[in-house]
Amino acid sequence: MSEPVNIRQIAPGTKIALVDGAVAEIVSNPADGVWVFARYLSSPSDPARVGGEEMIFAQDIVEIRE
Amino acid sequence: MATADTQGYRPGLVDLSAGQISREIFVNDEIYQQELERLFARVWLFVGHESQIPNPGDFFVSGMGEESVILCRDRLGQVHAFLNSCRHRGMKVCRYDEGNTPVFTCPYHGWSYGTDGRLVGVPYFREAYHEKLDKSQWGLVEVPQLCCYKGTVWACWDPEAPSFFEYLGDFVHYLDLTLDGWDGSEGGTEILGGIQKWRIPCNWKFPAENFCGDSYHNISHRSVDLVGIGPSGSGRRDMQERLMARRLQVSFYERGHQTGVYLFPHDQPTPPSYQHSPIVAEYFAHCEEERRKKRGAWTRLIGSPGEIFPNTALHPRQPRTIAAWHPRGTHQTEVWRWYLVDKAAPQEVKDFLRDYYIRYSGPAGMTEQDDMENWNYAHAASRGTIARRYPYSYEQGLGHEIANYESEGLRVPGTVMDITEAKSSEHNLRNLYRRWAEFMEAESWEVLATWRHDSRAAAE
Amino acid sequence: MGEAAVTARIQGYRPDLVDLAKGQISREIFVNDEIYREELERVFTRAWLFVGHESQIPNPGDFFVSSMGEESVILCRDRTGKVHVFLNSCRHRGMKVCRYDEGNAAVLTCPYHGWSYSTDGKLVGVPYFREAYHSTLDRSAWGLVEVAQFCCYKGSVWATWDPAAPPLLEYLGDFLPYIDLTLDAWDGSDGGTEILCGIQKWRVPCNWKFPAENFSGDAYHNISHRSVDLVGIGPSGSGRRDMPELNMARKLHIAFPERGHQTTSYLLPKEAAPPPAYQHSTVVSDYFRECEAARRRKRGEWGRMIALVGEVFPNTAYLARQPRTLAAWHPRSAHETEIWRWFLVDKSAPAEVKDFLRDYYIRYSGPGGMTEQDDMENWNYAHAASRGTIARRYPYSYEQGLGTEVENYEWQGFRVPGTVCDLTQAKSSEHNLRNLYRRWAEFMEARSWDELMSWRRQRQAAAAE
Repeated sequence: MSEPVNIRQIAPGTKIALVDGAVAEIVSNPADGVWVFARYLSSPSDPARVGGEEMIFAQDIVEIRE
Repeated sequence: MATADTQGYRPGLVDLSAGQISREIFVNDEIYQQELERLFARVWLFVGHESQIPNPGDFFVSGMGEESVILCRDRLGQVHAFLNSCRHRGMKVCRYDEGNTPVFTCPYHGWSYGTDGRLVGVPYFREAYHEKLDKSQWGLVEVPQLCCYKGTVWACWDPEAPSFFEYLGDFVHYLDLTLDGWDGSEGGTEILGGIQKWRIPCNWKFPAENFCGDSYHNISHRSVDLVGIGPSGSGRRDMQERLMARRLQVSFYERGHQTGVYLFPHDQPTPPSYQHSPIVAEYFAHCEEERRKKRGAWTRLIGSPGEIFPNTALHPRQPRTIAAWHPRGTHQTEVWRWYLVDKAAPQEVKDFLRDYYIRYSGPAGMTEQDDMENWNYAHAASRGTIARRYPYSYEQGLGHEIANYESEGLRVPGTVMDITEAKSSEHNLRNLYRRWAEFMEAESWEVLATWRHDSRAAAE
Repeated sequence: MGEAAVTARIQGYRPDLVDLAKGQISREIFVNDEIYREELERVFTRAWLFVGHESQIPNPGDFFVSSMGEESVILCRDRTGKVHVFLNSCRHRGMKVCRYDEGNAAVLTCPYHGWSYSTDGKLVGVPYFREAYHSTLDRSAWGLVEVAQFCCYKGSVWATWDPAAPPLLEYLGDFLPYIDLTLDAWDGSDGGTEILCGIQKWRVPCNWKFPAENFSGDAYHNISHRSVDLVGIGPSGSGRRDMPELNMARKLHIAFPERGHQTTSYLLPKEAAPPPAYQHSTVVSDYFRECEAARRRKRGEWGRMIALVGEVFPNTAYLARQPRTLAAWHPRSAHETEIWRWFLVDKSAPAEVKDFLRDYYIRYSGPGGMTEQDDMENWNYAHAASRGTIARRYPYSYEQGLGTEVENYEWQGFRVPGTVCDLTQAKSSEHNLRNLYRRWAEFMEARSWDELMSWRRQRQAAAAE
């Protein structure tokens, strides 16, 4: 399993890779270590999500990309 | 099926069809008193392990519900569980945690009992009692049923209760995952070190529902996951099987037991673990191989937290531990935690595991502390006059249970919720409260042993 | 409505527990666990309670964790600037959603399973909503529990769980001008106060009604504070407070029987020069002298009223003058109270004035305050003694000044609202304490707010004639 990622300090604008293969960009970070608000940049499993902003759960984030 | 029979304990308190449970059941003193009678006086409870009392005269003071009991081995090697209370005036007959003794002597007036419970010593039996006291009637109160299984000792106050094996039903296969040696040898485990005991200001059902399969609260343990206290130096546990296994929640409706389980694909090689120590990693790799040879398809199952109704929690893998949630009033629980290791493991393996266990579990264990923080405040918040009017939510995954789950030829006993894609469900929690509600309503074990009705009905 | 008439209406909560005609109250009401539990239901879920001050949550996302009765609540300001008060308990499994004292957050996330609420209470984040809940959970039904009513008045925030309760201003009734004396700036400008520094919180092993009755107007216990008076901790270096008005004013007990609020206040003579104060600091004494003058200009006759202590039923106390503070007596059990104390200063006072006052406040009030310590010593042992099996058979005495209260009290042209006991010659009375317990008994007996709003029935009766 992938290592847990510490999401508390990720700045807006940073890209994150999700467990289902999607990539999103941080819009805002409440800094609770549990959620971030992000906009989908790509979403192979559900293309309708692209462009939409959602709350992303920490356990669904597999990697922080620059 | 049981759910149809039970409308829900005091309608409005436990509503299984809506998946809502009132906070009252956690904080109401009257309900708690009823639990002591209807639950803890009638179920099978975990009392200890035979490895704690290996020799005649050995004793270990344990608990059943709120009451103190003495688990001991008599002169002939037979195991007993007695109420730790002198028949004369009630004083604790044994005030030590554990030890060895030929007799249990009450410090109050000196009545003395053999390790088989018989009243053997009565000061001034001739002079003061004129030899009239019928000593045979005044032995220590003994549990009517006791069962030793692969080292674990269980007891029940109710003579009408089914035998321990009937009580377990098919759940026994999951209990084996905790009790057998990791190489698959039957009952190849023993207790490691001392027993941890500590109190938490919450109702016993908070830890009980957590360990029966709260698959949702991993986020609580995130800090521990990030720090990497696992035996291979990453995450909280070695759980590489998560990537390749099906993650299941298994409930036994009629019994009230449940567990989480990982189901590997057929012929899946075992992921490496315990990388921090070559000796330990090698030991467990060897165990895995042996287990495949002995257990065949059943090797595909790795247990995760589970619970034997009502308050014995099992953690079969990492760490390997059994816990009892002793009720100490509506608003307090006393946790007793035992740790298990393979009897045949090298000393270095046992030492390694001990460090890991302490790091993970117990009052100072980093993961257990997260849980206790949640239970404390969840309980405190449930006591509030306003707060207790609002039910808790237990609807996750309602309706998605599978009765006959099968995977590549392996039939998984119990009713299964496959949470590999779903990530989580509250299936197991609903199971716990379904059975709890049944016990609170049922007048006797005749009503509770529903599986007997089914087979009788089938026979007709 | 006269006290005698009201007394006739209320037989007294469980007769011989509260006997207002005789002025005797059973110790049971302070120590009985059953009565305490009833209080939680009948008083604290129905009354208006003080929750905090708007200056503690100035910006969107700001929160302050407070208390209503025994329960933890979150006072916060949402993204649109609107103020809310929520029960601090996740709807899923009850865990405290916010474990901090105060701060700023975009969302309030429960640490147990990750349910997350926006600052307007909506459930916005549910982990695995699609996967585990199959999108069936009705999130709109699982938001944070919100109070039925709340009201911001001159910065102070109040809330009630009871939708049937009258609005705050009606709840306060004619007691409102006395609250204003605490909340307005000293120069008389409306609501010109703010909270100073942190909130003091500490626990005292006594029933909440001990501090509540003390601050309702226990005019009799000054002897307890004699050591502090002798030491001279007052801001002018003498006595405990600057109270030169004592020599020239009428000292009054003022009670509002239908509401249950009461105060001890001083009424200065017409045309009296403002008494000197804060002599230890020229800057401070100048500031207050100017304020006094401004207040008389703005408030006319009301500039003659100096409020001392007072209590909004059931458990919000104020001290309007020196020091200037609001306190909540939070029940934590029949035998324990958690006190939260806020301190107030004029928003526009110079920094030197605020610093001076801070030193004085700490010296006087709070767990380290010299005067408060005297009070706590008394409450502790009074409570402990009341628990005894023998002790609790003997009622407390509340008969001081029975029958001496008057309505329509007037002095030198000032008509004082409320029922008044003039203490100038009498030195003391227990009028205000009886008023507190009268209202307490009414709450304990009444089945609903309908029964508690006697003033509405009067109005209706009058309209019908």
